[in-house]
Amino acid sequence: MGRYIAKRIGMSVVTLFVLICLTFAMMHAIPGGPFTSDRNVTEAVQQALNEKYHLNDPVIVQFGNYIKDLLHGDLGMSYQYQGKSVNDFIVDGFPVSGKLGLVTTIFVLLASIPMGIVAALKNGRWQDMLVMVIATLGVTIPSFVIATMLMYLFSYKLGWLPTFGISSWKSFILPMVAMGGYSLAFLARLMRSSLLEVMGQDYIRTARSKGISEFKTITRHALRNALIPVITVLGPTIANLVTGSFVIESIFAMPGLGVHYVTSINNRDYSTIMGVTIFYATFLIAIVFIVDLFYCLIDPRIRYE
Amino acid sequence: MKKQLRTLAALAMAFTVAVTGTVTAKAAAPAAPEKQSITFALHSIADSIDPSITAETYASPILTNVFEGLVSYDADNNIIPGNAESWELSEDGTVYTFHLREGLKWSDGSDLTAKDYVYGWMRVITPEVGSLFADQMLPYIVNAQEYYDDNAAAEDVGIKALDDLTLEVTLINPTPFFLGLVATYTFSPVQQATVEANGDQWTLSAEAYVSNGPFYVTEINFNESYVMKKNPYYWNAENVVLEELKFVFIPESTTALNAFEGGEIQGFWEVPSDSLPVLRVESDELVTVNAFGTTFHIMNNTVEPFDNPLVRKAFNLAIDREQLIYNVLGTDDIPAFALVSPGYVVDGVDVTEGRSSYEMSPNADPEAAQAALAEAGYPNGEGFPKVTYYYSTNDTYKKTVEALVEMLETNLNIEIEMKTADWAVMYADIQAGNYQIAQYGWGGDYLHPMTFLPLFVTDAVNNYSHYSNPTYDELVAAIMVETDDAKAAEMIRQAEDSLMADYPMLPLFHRSYSYMMSRNTAGYFRTPLNNLYFRDAYVVE
Repeated sequence: MGRYIAKRIGMSVVTLFVLICLTFAMMHAIPGGPFTSDRNVTEAVQQALNEKYHLNDPVIVQFGNYIKDLLHGDLGMSYQYQGKSVNDFIVDGFPVSGKLGLVTTIFVLLASIPMGIVAALKNGRWQDMLVMVIATLGVTIPSFVIATMLMYLFSYKLGWLPTFGISSWKSFILPMVAMGGYSLAFLARLMRSSLLEVMGQDYIRTARSKGISEFKTITRHALRNALIPVITVLGPTIANLVTGSFVIESIFAMPGLGVHYVTSINNRDYSTIMGVTIFYATFLIAIVFIVDLFYCLIDPRIRYE
Repeated sequence: MKKQLRTLAALAMAFTVAVTGTVTAKAAAPAAPEKQSITFALHSIADSIDPSITAETYASPILTNVFEGLVSYDADNNIIPGNAESWELSEDGTVYTFHLREGLKWSDGSDLTAKDYVYGWMRVITPEVGSLFADQMLPYIVNAQEYYDDNAAAEDVGIKALDDLTLEVTLINPTPFFLGLVATYTFSPVQQATVEANGDQWTLSAEAYVSNGPFYVTEINFNESYVMKKNPYYWNAENVVLEELKFVFIPESTTALNAFEGGEIQGFWEVPSDSLPVLRVESDELVTVNAFGTTFHIMNNTVEPFDNPLVRKAFNLAIDREQLIYNVLGTDDIPAFALVSPGYVVDGVDVTEGRSSYEMSPNADPEAAQAALAEAGYPNGEGFPKVTYYYSTNDTYKKTVEALVEMLETNLNIEIEMKTADWAVMYADIQAGNYQIAQYGWGGDYLHPMTFLPLFVTDAVNNYSHYSNPTYDELVAAIMVETDDAKAAEMIRQAEDSLMADYPMLPLFHRSYSYMMSRNTAGYFRTPLNNLYFRDAYVVE
């Protein structure tokens, strides 16, 4: 197990490095720079700006300096926001995105798994139909449409929940439902089909024939196996939810990290592009790794060497 | 004196109310102090709220209300005394002497003197500071460019504090619009102590962000909100009624509209364009003001086929500006046939009044357009190369360009391809001259046509059309230093005539700004330069 973990960490570092190189190269390949705008500046001013932000150095030198700072945990200063460091963005934005992502994850899990189980056990009956209709809607309706409808109903018409911001716990309810819609639907469907498949296995028939109660058969034998595919996709799903959605954060005006993914690219804010990409990648790698370790706990047949 | 004037104004207003009854009693009475709070939503956070550095539109509502320069604007677009009580201009028009009010203070209670102005202005022309608006000072002030280029010492620059209350500014040439420049936030004072203590972080925390305007920042929540309170040290604090001013950031305009209608915010700008037609009919809270800005699309005058003035003329005659404005965009903009936006007034007459329409009309003139195209050598569009219309990815630009392409293709019988990219890519291409015809426009920085005219001067930094006309260049150079406003106005008309004879671009409309403000607020105003003043605003009962 120890060797396995060491190997995985080594691989993660290599993956990250390749990603950093690719992002850095692509970012400098796209036209425009941090100070490109409809209003041009004179040559002297452009020179002064390049000087201040070290954009006059050859790209390879810039890359070297970046890696050096990165090893010290310094993601650099934003080219766009005066005086702000990328570390600040993450410290400011991640708690908001993280909180939203966490409540959404809990909401998704609490809703989707029972929904999937009910649908599988009541296969073909109205409960199944209902879950499948909800699941289909959740997958097909884009989150921004759900968000707009929810906001219209609960904020504008009924006035129960705030329209924007993060002023109270109530502010998180609508974004949570809107953002969780897709994952909820997807996981419910996955849970349903996975459980249906397991329920048809020989060992379930064996368990039943031994006279074990239906409840025990499902919880002890069926669910444990049926959960494996769900846990597999849970890693990326959690990472996605927790690192923030640009669309949802933007609709509900939440000052999370999601907005930086998109605006930093538009602004050619090089250090922010790098910083959030590295942060997101590290997070994703870590989550997938944790999920892999979780397999052992769920399924004793899986062993890592 | 000032007080007396205010009393007089109040009396006059009372009289108006008594006679006409048009102003409701509600609008006259401010509510109790504890209710004096306004929350206004902005679309996005600015790159910086350092007045010496930023050049961004989103910074202006913040800076306009927390800083005050030597001069400011009133609701009728007149330049009024701000921190300076009075000023004199030397006989030759090159030396301004500003007299500061006595007892000016920063929001932390410390004294504000002419030296703070010198410090703030010198920051703008110090290359290491990285000001994005240095071009607002460099061409005008003596030795500013030389100092920027490290060829002159600080004491040689024409910005001097003669004593604590006197600031002397020496200009290279008479610059008739210089006071307009001084009214921009770039010319704000900056407190040396806080910059030296906090470096470039001084704008990031409320404690360090020392300012001198009607309000001061008490809370900064990055990407979320700026909370401001009335500044007790502001020289005119006794006339500031609003106790709290809050700016929140809502990127989606439909969310802002929902929040506005639910009463969570009292105002916002960037009204969703889809809602404009309905709001215009149904809402008494939609405010529209004329802007000092013109949307014109640029044509690359150095590449085929736009190197031919007749082709450019044909394009100008073939589009229906009225249809674009009213049917496609649903705005209140004014069809444009030239560059300079209306709004600059000399002796009571707008300088653009009576200006020629250069054979254009609000509607398309397909026959005249075809005639021009034929004269250019493309009868009925035959042999006309396929051209590419470039715009940056945005719904409004897309709608605009699609409508224009449709009009041009139908009326000129030619083929046009559309191309879109994100704005950084597009501007990089435009600046490199890699385009034929592209979306563009200009919002004025100060209320004088000189904010527009250099856009078409040979080799000017923002002359993306690469237009060149020696007569025009000479006229613009002369306007720049003409101190007689009436003469300058005449030359401005000549310059535009000379420019539009060549149709170097595609003027579309002179802009207006729409925004929403609660009917329970009064006294706020937004100038044609897009500055929103809450100095005199208040919540009514």
